[in-house]
Formats: sequence, C-alpha cells, structure tokens
Amino acid sequence: MFLIKKIASFATVIFGVLLLTFLLIHLVPGDPVEVMLGESASTADRVALREDLGLNQPLITQFGGYLNKLSSGDFGQSIHTKTPIIEMLKTRYPATVKLALLSLLIGLCIGIPLGIYAALKANHWQDIVVTLVSVRLSAMPAFWLGPMLMLIFAVWLGWLPVSGMESNTSIILPALTLGFGLSAILTRMTRTSLLEVLNDDYIRTARAKGLSEKTVILRHALRAALLPIITIVGLQMGSLLAGTVITETIFSWDGIGRMLVESIEKRDYPVTQACVLVVALSYVLVNLVTDVLYRLADPRVKFGG
Amino acid sequence: MSALNVTKFFMGLLCVLIAACSQQNPSKLTSHEIVFAIGQMPQNLDPRYATDAASERVNRLIYQSLVDFDANAKPVPSLASWVEVSTTEYRFTLNKNRILFHHQTPLTASDVKATYDSLATLKDAPHTAEFANIKSIIAEDNDTVVFVLKQADKHFVDKLIIGILPAQLIAKNHDFSHQPLGNGALEFVNWQNKLILKRVKDKQTISFIEVKDPTVRVLKLLHGEVDLLQGELPPELVKHLQTKSEIIVKTGMGANFSYLGLNMQDPVLKQLKVRQAIAHAIDRNAIITKVMVSNTRVASAILPPEHYTNNNIALPIYDYNPMLAKQLLREAGVKLPLKLVFKTSTDAQRVRFATIMQAQMQPAGIDLEIRSLDWGTFFEDVKQGNFQLYGLTWVGIKTPEIYAKAFGSHSVPPNGFNRGRYTDAELDKLLVDENWPVATSRIHAQLPYIPLWYEGQFAAMRKEISNYSPKSDGNWDDLATISVGK
Repeated sequence: MFLIKKIASFATVIFGVLLLTFLLIHLVPGDPVEVMLGESASTADRVALREDLGLNQPLITQFGGYLNKLSSGDFGQSIHTKTPIIEMLKTRYPATVKLALLSLLIGLCIGIPLGIYAALKANHWQDIVVTLVSVRLSAMPAFWLGPMLMLIFAVWLGWLPVSGMESNTSIILPALTLGFGLSAILTRMTRTSLLEVLNDDYIRTARAKGLSEKTVILRHALRAALLPIITIVGLQMGSLLAGTVITETIFSWDGIGRMLVESIEKRDYPVTQACVLVVALSYVLVNLVTDVLYRLADPRVKFGG
Repeated sequence: MSALNVTKFFMGLLCVLIAACSQQNPSKLTSHEIVFAIGQMPQNLDPRYATDAASERVNRLIYQSLVDFDANAKPVPSLASWVEVSTTEYRFTLNKNRILFHHQTPLTASDVKATYDSLATLKDAPHTAEFANIKSIIAEDNDTVVFVLKQADKHFVDKLIIGILPAQLIAKNHDFSHQPLGNGALEFVNWQNKLILKRVKDKQTISFIEVKDPTVRVLKLLHGEVDLLQGELPPELVKHLQTKSEIIVKTGMGANFSYLGLNMQDPVLKQLKVRQAIAHAIDRNAIITKVMVSNTRVASAILPPEHYTNNNIALPIYDYNPMLAKQLLREAGVKLPLKLVFKTSTDAQRVRFATIMQAQMQPAGIDLEIRSLDWGTFFEDVKQGNFQLYGLTWVGIKTPEIYAKAFGSHSVPPNGFNRGRYTDAELDKLLVDENWPVATSRIHAQLPYIPLWYEGQFAAMRKEISNYSPKSDGNWDDLATISVGK
C-alpha cells in the first residue's frame, strides 16, 4: 500500500514537473528556430523549419506528442546538435552522479565526526573552533572556493589537475568544493541533534548500565539523532544530483547541470525537458530512499503513517 | 575519546579514497600534443550549419573554401581563382596544386557543386537564404565550376566562403557536424570530451578543450595543462600573465566592432540631439585604458580603418564631454535626468562595461538602468526591438554589405539586422549606389549606433610554443603553422 501510494504521488509530481517545464520554456522569450537559422534566414525558411520541428502546432498537441514519445522511452534528439538525447544523458548523468556521491561521502566523512566531536566538547574551545570552521566553510561560495583549491592543489603544489575530466584525479577538487560546503551543514546539524539527545534519560540509563562511552554515543545517541541528519542529507543529495551548475562550470565537469543551463541558453526544448525530467526523477528517488532510511534509523516510523 | 577515533576512522577512509584515485600526470596526456583552451566549444563542424565563432574558426582549419579575404578584407582566391563572365555568371578554376580531401580522394568541381547545391535543399541550414540567388551550378570539368545567378550581385564572390565537402559523402548524408571531413590544414581525429585535430603535413596533434571560466583557463595555462589560449580574458588576467616568465603574451589590433544599439522608434531616442548626447556621455578612452586589453582602438564605424572601403579616417570621434551632452539634452527638450534602460547579456565583462558607462553618463544627466539578461532572452528582445539601448559586437565582418543589412530601411528583422528600426531614405540611396564613404559618414553623423571600440586581440601561450599570433578577427589560422619546442 505504501509503495502504491508513493508511486502514485511520484507520478503526479513528475507529470506536474513535465507540464510546468513545458509551459515555462515555451513562454520565455527566444525561439530555437531563430537560434538555429540566425538572422540571415528567409521567412519561408523559418516557417518551413518551424513546421519541420512541429513548433507550429498548438502547445497541447506538442505536449501530447512529447508524452507519447516519452512513454516509449524516446527522449528525442537535440534540436541543435541532432544527437539523441539519451546518448547525451548516458555520458552527462553518470558524471553528475559520480561527483554527487563523492561529494556526499566527503561531506559525511568530515561533517558527522566533527559534529560528534563538537557535541561532546560542547562549549569548550574545541567546539568553538569546529563551529568557526564550519561557519566559514558554509559561507564560502563554490565560485571562490573552487579556484582557491585549484590554486593551492594544482598550481602551487602540482598534485592535482586544475579542471577537466581527463584524469581519474580530476574529480577530487570539484568533490572537495561541494563536499566542504556539505560537511559544514552536517557538522552543525549533527552537533545540534546530538546535544538534544545526550541528556535524555535513556542515554543516562545506558551509561548507568556501564556501557562504554563509544557504544553510548554511536549506538544510542547518534542513532536517535540521525533523523534530521538523514533529512538534510536527502535534500542535499537531491540538489547534488540536479547538477551543481557553478561547480560543474568552474571545473569543466560535463554533468547534467551544465547540460541543462546550456540547453536553456540555446532554447533546445527537448534537451531542457529531458534534463528536468531526470532531475525530478532523481529527487523522487532520493525522497524514497530517505523514507526507507527513516524507517531503518527509527523503527517507530511507520511506512504510510 | 571515541569521537576522536571516529574522526580518525572517517578521515582515514577519506584519505584512502582520495589516494585510491590513481595519480596520473595532471598535465597533458601526450607530450607533443598542443592543447588550446577555449571558452566555448564549436557547436557544429558542418560548415553549412555553423554560425558560432568557434565553429567557423575550426572549420577554416578543417575545410578550404573557394574564396578568402586579405588583410584589407578584399576577396582573394583560396581554393580557386575566378573570372566574372557576366554580371550573373562567375567561372571558378580550382588550383592545380590543391590538396586531397583527408580521406585521400581528390577535390573536384563536382564537390564544389554538391556543396552549394546541398545548401538549397537543407531545411535547417542558416546560410540557405544567402545562396537563394543561385540559378544553377555547372561543373564543366574537374577543375572548373560555373555559378549562374538569377540576378546580378556584385558581392556574390564574397559569399563563397563555405568549406567544400566531398560530394560522395554529401550523397550519403554523412554527419559532418560531428565527423567533419575536408581538405584543410587540419584533419579531424576525435571529439569526445575534447576536440582532437591532427595537422596533415606533420601529424602534429592539436586539441581543443572547453574551459568556460576565464580564471580557470589562466590557471590551466600556468599549470601547463594547456599550451594556448586566445581572447576572452579580462585585462587584469592578461596583465598577470604578462608577468609570468613561462608565458608569452602576444597582442595585436582587433577588427571586431563593439557598439551601443539604439531604438530609433523610441520617442526620445529618435531625436538626433539625444543620440549625440549619449555619444558624448561615454568616455571610451578611459574604458579602453582602464579595463580593456592593449591595442584596443576607439571605433567610428563598423568596418575598421584598414578596410578597403574605408574612408572614415577623417570621421570625428565623439569625445567625452558630459557638459555638452547635458546641453544637447536640454536643447532636445528632454526632462533631466533622462532615464534609459540598457540591456546586455550576463557576460561579466559586458556587465562591467555597462556599469562604467552608467557612472560616466550620470554627470551628463542620464540615468542608465542596466538589465542583464540571459543570452536567449536578451537577443530575442534585441531582434524584436524590445529595448531602448543594447550592447553588442559585430565579429568577423568583412563585406560593406553589412551597412545595408544593419541600417537599410528594408532590413528590419526578420529581413536583416536593422534591430533599431532605423529608416533613412537618403542612406538607403547611398547604400543602393554602394557609395560607402558617404554612407559611412552619414551613419556616423546620424548615430543609429553609438560606436565604441575595436577590442584588441591577444593570445597567451607557454614559452615552448612558437609560430602563433592573434589575428584581427580572432581567427585561429595560425594553428596550421604553430609549433611546440621540446
């Protein structure tokens, strides 16, 4: 029942997103025919191409045709490059997923331990240092942090490539740029959540039972504090999978975020729609995973409740 | 304490993960490969479709066209010489020593015919309309091709700059956009994350990589990941590169014309005195000195002084004089401050120019509101005439026909580039008569555009690179001769 309800709600969301994107992109000024043919083309050529692309049909007909093709798994082809969109997605989306996962891992590896440490040292100088560092990190925009990391690790130290995707190590700097920001949020969230449960009765009971501090923190306190952390991680993962345009642009990382922005600039309608669909599906999937993780973290949470 | 152990564990895991990514040489993968970082990848390597600057620059290297232009923008033979048989007939004779297509078949008159014939049948090719005047193309023999026109066109030859494709592949609907094949100095190798070309004569590999951010392009050059970059950098980065011993920066004059376009249907801007006031309210010299690369010149007309039609050396420059500008506005009966909306793209340098002009115009009594729009919206507004002022640059303009297309009364979009809807019967007559000097003077006096500058060109390269210089229109032709030391 839970699954049926979820699928129905997700299908509604996806349909809404498709419809809204379709309408919005057709409402904004600009026309793919103009972009393709330029200003030198004759009116007759413009009309012919518009007809050829089906852009002369009513919006509802165009949308119906799009849904029809989509139902058979056909995303269409790019108006400009004539490349099948599925081929573009096959290279762009895995790049984004790879970057998102590594960024998340970096964020978790730094954010959660630092958050635990800050909570255990609450109001001591260590806590203040961690708080200061995390506030600084979250205040650094990617367009500043990215070039700084490049300058230090690529130009000065020569350890890593500046940008691009040619080398296996190319992913490290963009992942650090995104991961640092995420770790700052997770540090603050872990610290706050943990502090809320550390003085609860069941923690005191666990200590009174003679459990080691490690077991008390990791098995009892952290598990109870996980729910808000899972929420934040879910939201962040969703936006990472939507593509992080600035980071992808700075690091010449050919992900879906750049693909989406470039398609909007060129008014490449089918590509924009396909990107938005993939992004929406990612969000939906991450939401589903988040729901399952809630249940795993806290058995009191009921599916469909 | 356990938290410290947890931290240690996670940090250790992170280090292992990072170390697990096998360390490769971060610089170029092939030692003799020349890597060229560009801000925008070519969009289409089929010369019949290409409209963006990057595609046209790469296509000049992969394909050869019948005609090219000399330093004064006069058409000169490239793949063929020509004779004007009559006002509607041109006979082209292909060079005897022309090189083969990259797949080793000879280039013949049939290929020329097939290339230009195919333009007429393509529905989505932007150049089709330019060749609608062709009545027939006859390949007389392997070396001779005749173009017969429907009506006389003095500038027909200037249009024959489309790269020639093999007829046999055109017939097979070959995908030239992604797998170009011509007979130019460079041949196509591969195009995945980067575009790889190989020089025909010595097999030198040249790769193009897209790096959108100017700062990152500079960092990659300094790090040795790229060997060459050209243009599209703010001047402070160029100055920074000039201080680096491992980098050579070469500069040269530019010919690409930047201007402010005005909406001539706007009740205020249709007054000549208002347009003159705006021209006197911009301190071009200050902008050029402070925020532009060296060799940038103040402009007076679309075509630069060295152009063969040029007689504009005597054209006066509208100097910066805010007091005079204010007086002109008062004479025009405009209530001060005059509020104007200036539309521009989101390009950082463009927005910077707009902000400076906004400050410069204030003492002249002009209150400039800047609207920075995404390219699609901005350009659509410009074409629709939905603007008061906008800023753009004409790139790679060679023929004087541009005056008719940009200012002719019949050239309002979609029939031309007269985006400001300028109508001037006297100018129309001068344009029909092709009296370029007088037409240029009239445009300069009437100010449908406020001329700004021809931006200087520059190229920055690693010191191992030689035989490369920037060209006035920004083309990359020297990649045919560039060399890399060991």
